[in-house]
Amino acid sequence: MWLYMKLAWRNVLRNKRRTLIAGIAVGIGLASLIFVDALVLGMNDNLVRSATSSFMGEGQIARAGFRRSLDIDLTINGFPAVLDSVRTEPVVRYAAPRILAMATMTSPSDVEAVSLVGIDPSAEPPLSLVDEAIVQGAYLGTGDGDANGVLIGKKLAGLLSIELGDRVVLTAARAGTGELVQDLFRVSGLFETGTDEMDKGMVFIPLSTAGEMLGLTGRAHEIAIRFVDSDMGADAGLPFWKKYNRDGNEAVGWTELMPELAQAIRMSRWSTAIIGVVLFGVVALGIVNTLFMSLYERMFEFGVLRAVGTRPFAVGRLIVLEAGALAAISIVLGAALGLAVTGIFVYRGIDYSGIEYAGVVFRDLLYPRLEPYQFVVFPLCVFLFTVLVGLYPAWYAARIGPAQAMRKSM
Amino acid sequence: MIIDLRTARIGAVLIALLASPATGQAPQARPDTLTHDEIKRIVRHLDDLYRSTSSYSVVEMQIVTPNWSRTLTMDAWTHGLDRMFIRITGPKKEEGVATLRIGSEMWNYLPRTDKIIKVPPSMMMSSWMGSDFTNDDLVKEFTLIDDYTFSEDADSSDASVVRIRCVPKPGTPIVWGSVVIAVRRTGDIPVWERYYDEHGRLMRVLTYGDVREFGGRRLPSTLTMAPENKEGHRTVIRYLQLEFDAGVKDEVFSLRNLRSGR
Amino acid sequence: MLLRIAIRNVFRMKRRSILTMLTMFGGFTLAAFSIGWIDGSYSHVIDAFTRNRLGHIQVHRKGYLDKPSIYKTIDRYDAVGKTISGVRGVAAWAPRTYAAGLASVGDRTATVEIVGIDPVLEDKTTRFDGKVAAGHPLPPQAAHETILGKTLSELLSVGVGDSVVVVSQAADGSIANDRYIVAGIASSGDPETDRVAMYLHIRDAQDLFVLPGKAHEIAVVVHNIGDVDRVAASIRSALGDPDLAVATWEEFARSFYRAMRADREGAWIMLFVVALVVAVGVLNTVLMTVLERRREYGLMRALGTRPARLFGMVLLEVLVLAVVSIALGCGTAYIINHALSIHGVPLPGDSLSYGGVQFDRMYTEVNSRSFYIPALCVLATALLVSMLPALRAAHSAPARTMKIH
Repeated sequence: MWLYMKLAWRNVLRNKRRTLIAGIAVGIGLASLIFVDALVLGMNDNLVRSATSSFMGEGQIARAGFRRSLDIDLTINGFPAVLDSVRTEPVVRYAAPRILAMATMTSPSDVEAVSLVGIDPSAEPPLSLVDEAIVQGAYLGTGDGDANGVLIGKKLAGLLSIELGDRVVLTAARAGTGELVQDLFRVSGLFETGTDEMDKGMVFIPLSTAGEMLGLTGRAHEIAIRFVDSDMGADAGLPFWKKYNRDGNEAVGWTELMPELAQAIRMSRWSTAIIGVVLFGVVALGIVNTLFMSLYERMFEFGVLRAVGTRPFAVGRLIVLEAGALAAISIVLGAALGLAVTGIFVYRGIDYSGIEYAGVVFRDLLYPRLEPYQFVVFPLCVFLFTVLVGLYPAWYAARIGPAQAMRKSM
Repeated sequence: MIIDLRTARIGAVLIALLASPATGQAPQARPDTLTHDEIKRIVRHLDDLYRSTSSYSVVEMQIVTPNWSRTLTMDAWTHGLDRMFIRITGPKKEEGVATLRIGSEMWNYLPRTDKIIKVPPSMMMSSWMGSDFTNDDLVKEFTLIDDYTFSEDADSSDASVVRIRCVPKPGTPIVWGSVVIAVRRTGDIPVWERYYDEHGRLMRVLTYGDVREFGGRRLPSTLTMAPENKEGHRTVIRYLQLEFDAGVKDEVFSLRNLRSGR
Repeated sequence: MLLRIAIRNVFRMKRRSILTMLTMFGGFTLAAFSIGWIDGSYSHVIDAFTRNRLGHIQVHRKGYLDKPSIYKTIDRYDAVGKTISGVRGVAAWAPRTYAAGLASVGDRTATVEIVGIDPVLEDKTTRFDGKVAAGHPLPPQAAHETILGKTLSELLSVGVGDSVVVVSQAADGSIANDRYIVAGIASSGDPETDRVAMYLHIRDAQDLFVLPGKAHEIAVVVHNIGDVDRVAASIRSALGDPDLAVATWEEFARSFYRAMRADREGAWIMLFVVALVVAVGVLNTVLMTVLERRREYGLMRALGTRPARLFGMVLLEVLVLAVVSIALGCGTAYIINHALSIHGVPLPGDSLSYGGVQFDRMYTEVNSRSFYIPALCVLATALLVSMLPALRAAHSAPARTMKIH
């Protein structure tokens, strides 16, 4: 057996050019499988990330019923203990508390209905894009002097005919009594996220200011969460949900917050899965093609072997071993190529979405995601498939008579 | 709910609110620059001009916008700081529509559907009955004396008129950078008010006119508000009748009364 | 003459030819299927999603989309609609009015968006009646009835048969105020819509808001979504009114368009990889073939074949194989794509629900580019790849190549 393996390797390495060509051909197939899989993972990541990182978060904790009615009195039970507990969870990377209220913002020339969001400036940046989308002024500060700053969208500023530094009055109904309260704020920053919902409809003030103004000191409406692994938000079985789904609060992942997105991802996955199957089909075809070509070329050689007395089974085994050797070379080449090419894009990202809106501060880059299974499972599949494919020519060579083999040319 | 707006000072004018009794006629004006006490006196007079413990008025409000133009007539009753009742008497389509405010709560009654709707807090800032006033104007207001600091504005092209510049006190939730009020020296009758934003841009002008005597006071019976940044918008309020300390009964400020206009 | 030799060569080396053709044919067919799949599934999703509520094309008064206002109306929408329905490619149209207001039931009040619809036209265009989950759809004649979004009905604690009072401001500045009976509850699939939508018969809405003969929007659905740009242009010229803006779904469903585009471009990257692998397969095959036959070429040269003819022969062989493969591929791909465009590929697991539309299957599409792109790819690759070896074969020194084994 060992002899045959040595023989197989020597045969394969004897004709370097042919082996190299075949190896590269199959290797490209493997590399493309790796690249495409990484691409698909990256596409999914991108979709999820762009939806959850703009404001939603990968998961949220809120009082049951709050999301539906947006009733200002429905704050999280057990706050702030709940927040502290959440922050100690090993699966949680970031958590940020928020107060939400419907309000109106008045400027000297106009009034607009807005969603007032009280945020903790030290905790909020990883959970929303606003801090990266500031076009004028600055993000909210944590000092006392920043208590009356408000961050608004550039588009909203346009609607209200105001600029950075101008005064505005926010009016909202206090929790509990429902009486109207008004407070003076200064526009301390303008942002442009590219979505109208945020740019025209949301204004951000410090959590403490919101709490004082609305009679909600020490309380919050929602805690937005980012997990250590972006797949966790979609994992319905995560123990985290059960743990925080009590005392009148509900903990939900983004798949429930944005069911449409979850469906869109499912659809996208299905679509690309089909293409993946096609790709595998093409790669398989390539393997069949390559292997058959390289083996049939050498039928004469195998015929000689048979004529010399090698038993059919032995010849067959030799061919299978050669297929294996070629496969081994191919998967090494393929894995290296796959790693190299994908690696380039992992580093640089693929800017395929383009910049639709002028002046958007951030870009939608797609980063393919490399995973260990791509370098274990895929090469294994290719290897096995190649060897499997080699069975037919092996059987053919074993069955055919030596004279026939030597006579047959392609 | 709908459109344009803004703010408190006009609301204060329409709805008599504060409990301080009406002051009498203003003392003689002086031709030279005013002392701070004199300015304060004039300002207090302006604050109280339309206010009393209780009041009854018949008002005509004309609203002009680029898309339409309407005139509403209404009866209004007020009592104390926080109770107010308004019933619309014309035109026909709105006849019988009534608004009641008690404290920070407000209800509208619509005779066509015989429904009393409690106005949710989110609707408070939207316009009242389609006018340039917001519901919130009818709920709170600011007084010059408490919420502003004042000084005399020296530019006097007209010697019979005093100009007072009012600047909101820091931290007060007022959007204006400053308000300049022109007052006629004789009788301390307001002539106009100009509202500026922080950058000194004129945002709107309130013009007073048609001075008449109501309940022993001489005051302008016509107020015209025109925004500077909006073409074709204007609201004109005319007091047809105005009684101070009218002895308004408590039953007026009730949900039942909302319906009894039918 | 050369062609005959080429064909005979092809037949002579059966196995090699078959293998080469297998790669070309298989690659072509799979690539054609992929393109049909990508185009088809996206068209399907886009069509279903936009047809569900928004429509493929929308007509508004100029400026309405940027800054909606009750005053920006399409006057005499009936006439406009009639013109639109005469445009080739238009399947259906429906008028809508939009206004914000307050809805009140008992002591509950909610902010609503009041949408005036023509029940008959709306159902024809967006299958609206199918969305009414409880009660019944609005009757064809205005009857002071209303349909509420599901979440809205829950927030107001109201059911079929109850009455709802609406307050708002009419277009003439007066108070808009009236009472309607709840005829049905609708589920659009879009949570925001279900929270604020209150549907009235368009005549009732026009009375309520004093908008005689007017509408804010006309939604249009076309027969074939691939035609949407052409139909929009036709509508524009048929209306000939500079005050009316005709927009396609790409303009008014911006974020959906972006998401679809991004996804689709990702799929195209994948397709590019597929094409690459196909090309490599063809390359590999042709290269090996040509390289293996160098002895044969040397012999031909020795016999006096001119380089140009040899070059031509090599290329011609490859061409024959390519053409036959492509021809077979066209037939096969057509059959597959056509069948799947009708029957579709079932989705695994439960049906998918997006934008309120249920998807059970995905469909492919038969279109021209699913044929010419793979054809070009296979042909170009085959020819390009055989150029160099063909050149080398053509100029090979006979003695040397015949020495090679």
